[in-house]
Amino acid sequence: MIGLLSGNSGWLANFYDQYLGFIAFIIRRWDQVVEYTLNHFSLVLTVMFFSLILWISVGLLISRYEKLANTAFGLGNILFVIPSISVFGIFITIPMLGLGRTSAALALILYAMMPMVRNVYRGIKSVEWPIIEAGRGMGMSARQILFQIQIPMAWPIIFAGIRVTVVMITGIATVATYIGERNLGRFIHHGIARESADMIIAGAILVSVIAILLDYLLGKIESRITSPGLLREQDHN
Amino acid sequence: MIRLDKVDKVFPGASAPAVDQVSFQVDEGNICVFVGPSGCGKTTILRMINRLVEPTGGDIYIKGQKVSDRGVNPDHLRRKIGYVIQQIGLMPHRTIEQNVALVPRLLKWPENKIMPRVKHLLEMVGLEPDEVSKKYPHQLSGGMMQRVGVARALAADPPIMLMDEPFGAVDPIVRGRLQDEFLRLQKEMKKTICFVTHDINEAIKMGDHIVIMNKGKLVQHGTPMEILSNPIDDFVKNLIGTDRETKLLELTKSEEMVTQTEEIPTEVSEKDCFIMAVDPVQRALEAMMKKDADIVGVKDGDKFIGTISWEDIKKHINRISGDEA
Repeated sequence: MIGLLSGNSGWLANFYDQYLGFIAFIIRRWDQVVEYTLNHFSLVLTVMFFSLILWISVGLLISRYEKLANTAFGLGNILFVIPSISVFGIFITIPMLGLGRTSAALALILYAMMPMVRNVYRGIKSVEWPIIEAGRGMGMSARQILFQIQIPMAWPIIFAGIRVTVVMITGIATVATYIGERNLGRFIHHGIARESADMIIAGAILVSVIAILLDYLLGKIESRITSPGLLREQDHN
Repeated sequence: MIRLDKVDKVFPGASAPAVDQVSFQVDEGNICVFVGPSGCGKTTILRMINRLVEPTGGDIYIKGQKVSDRGVNPDHLRRKIGYVIQQIGLMPHRTIEQNVALVPRLLKWPENKIMPRVKHLLEMVGLEPDEVSKKYPHQLSGGMMQRVGVARALAADPPIMLMDEPFGAVDPIVRGRLQDEFLRLQKEMKKTICFVTHDINEAIKMGDHIVIMNKGKLVQHGTPMEILSNPIDDFVKNLIGTDRETKLLELTKSEEMVTQTEEIPTEVSEKDCFIMAVDPVQRALEAMMKKDADIVGVKDGDKFIGTISWEDIKKHINRISGDEA
């Protein structure tokens, strides 16, 4: 601010120094930026891959076996409220896992449970009774009802869960840097240690860019596979 | 065609049976209407016929075969029985075309047979195929959705239709029109239909046969005429309402009440007061009032067959309800 107000010797250069220094930082450390970004990306994608398989199955399971639902939600909530740094900490003490990607990925998969399982369940349950009843009455099997009615109709809600999870995992993944992940969290971590705002901002902005990008891509996919019949804002005519 | 033999249904945890020892038969090509207050078991009976609900006692036969036979897969059974519900239950994520094609696809019809069939069905229920095929259910009006619901149930040309308040979700004017159109269709289709309603007027209008239910029990069954002219107890009388006699006049054809004569009375010819033999007697009353006459002539085509007088109608009503008057 002082640089800006003094007016004298090139306020633009001053502004750049003070607030856009992270750009210079990114250019200077380009190789490292690429390495960390790719690591970050691959961790998030690994976590999402397993989460989708695991948590969609669990969500479908509890929507059929109602009694399991509360247990699953309870577990998901507990996992979700444990501070991430301690979950990473616990995982590295388990002999088979230790420092590194396996621990990081496992911890993040557990975090994904709550938003994903809950939304799959909610989505399946959002299908109104008369539609299921009509499906049964027409002679659809339970399997056909699941795959041809319930899942396609639940897509918008399931997708909302997936998008929230991706953004969240991209953020929490930064903490995994404390257990040896070489990702964008490292810029933030080192930036704090060295009191370097440029490093912190560079790390944070790159993380946000990944999150926004993934969310945007998922949005595109979502509108591709969601039936236009489910978009209620369409004109009634 | 459809026969129920001492069918019981007790839902788990319920103190009284939902359906209690009900036996009756629906003949081929007939519309059998189940009528009664809500909770009387009429919907449960319907849902037991296609095994959406399993009876706790008794047997149900379709064309002589027990529906609960071990060899019968409930899903396959249902694909051969049309099913229409009040809430319609169209699939919002599928186009109208895909909704109607549902059962033929389940039955694995060849694709080149399905599309012409869908088009034909949409026309049959009074919709414009080019206009609605590619639309989604939420883009249609309530009446149009009901029509699609009927088209979907008819898609694979099932010999039997189960209809649970199929016209219940639309306003009375649209309902009347849908009823008329459906009766016209039925004249050609000759399906065996089980139809549930809580509206006695709809029952009288639609039914070849009426089954009156109360608290899970079958109270009375018979043709609309039998039930109107001879209600078995106060429950049935209350259900029919206070306008039993006018309802009867709507159901009675003029030819059934005509006094045969060859000579046209002067009052009739002067006031040009004629009705057709197939018209309900109520039409005779309307004609009398309009022309300020006490007698109407009845024609069968161009031929004069006799007369109905105000006295005849009064006597007829007296005969039916005389015991209460």
